[in-house]
Amino acid sequence: MAVKIELGRRYRFAASHRLHTKKLSEEENTRIFGKCANPYGHGHNYVLEISVSGDIDPATGMIANLADLDSFVEHEVIEVFDCRSLNEDVAAFRQTVPTTENLCIEIFERLKSFPKAKLERVRVQETANNSFEYAGK
Amino acid sequence: MILITRKIEFSASHLYHNPALSPEENRRVFGKCNNPHGHGHNYTLEVTVAGEPDPVTGMVLDLKELKDILEREVMQRMDHRFLNYEVAELKGQIPTCENIARVIWELLEPKITQGKLHRVRLYESADLFADCYRNGAC
Repeated sequence: MAVKIELGRRYRFAASHRLHTKKLSEEENTRIFGKCANPYGHGHNYVLEISVSGDIDPATGMIANLADLDSFVEHEVIEVFDCRSLNEDVAAFRQTVPTTENLCIEIFERLKSFPKAKLERVRVQETANNSFEYAGK
Repeated sequence: MILITRKIEFSASHLYHNPALSPEENRRVFGKCNNPHGHGHNYTLEVTVAGEPDPVTGMVLDLKELKDILEREVMQRMDHRFLNYEVAELKGQIPTCENIARVIWELLEPKITQGKLHRVRLYESADLFADCYRNGAC
């Protein structure tokens, strides 16, 4: 095929986090993470954008059926992160700082086994002004 | 290399139906999109062209010319149309976002002579879009 087609889909979830690591002193945490190190945490409305690629099935006109993609993302990401504290409720962030960089990597790892198409990249928008992308190693 | 993007919006109707499948299979695969009378979207198209700025004009391409190409190739063909029945390039295909983006790429690619077409991104809604690239370009 002369062209490559990707399907992009956007999802939303809301979660709280605190940027803090026990590997640093309280002063260093405050210096590096600023307000994000506030002990009680804070939250964001995250927007997740994912892109998958593959051949268009001539019978359906689709790279992947959206119902399959949506239920996979719902199960692997939304149910895990939505209305949760990333630090307290998600095992991956017990030892790792839940920055949006690390969140991108965690989401990519969770979604890369989608069986119907190839995951190309994930983009997570933390606010309208900050977004992060990861396309695997 | 500079990437320059122009955005246009058009509204069109479509339905998803494959005559090779039974009515039950059509409903199972395509869900509400199989409604026989169709439904519509406000599509947003972003067309990105790559190139080097001309040393005299400072431009990769004449945006007016790109605007005219988009008007001729996309707006006149697809705006306020029923994509299944009125767009010859989509005949026999399911007019998904993926297929429409590919058809738009094929229409635009030979017409863009200043710079090279880099990406066609077609939004069917704020949460669903398809990207089309030259194979091997990304």
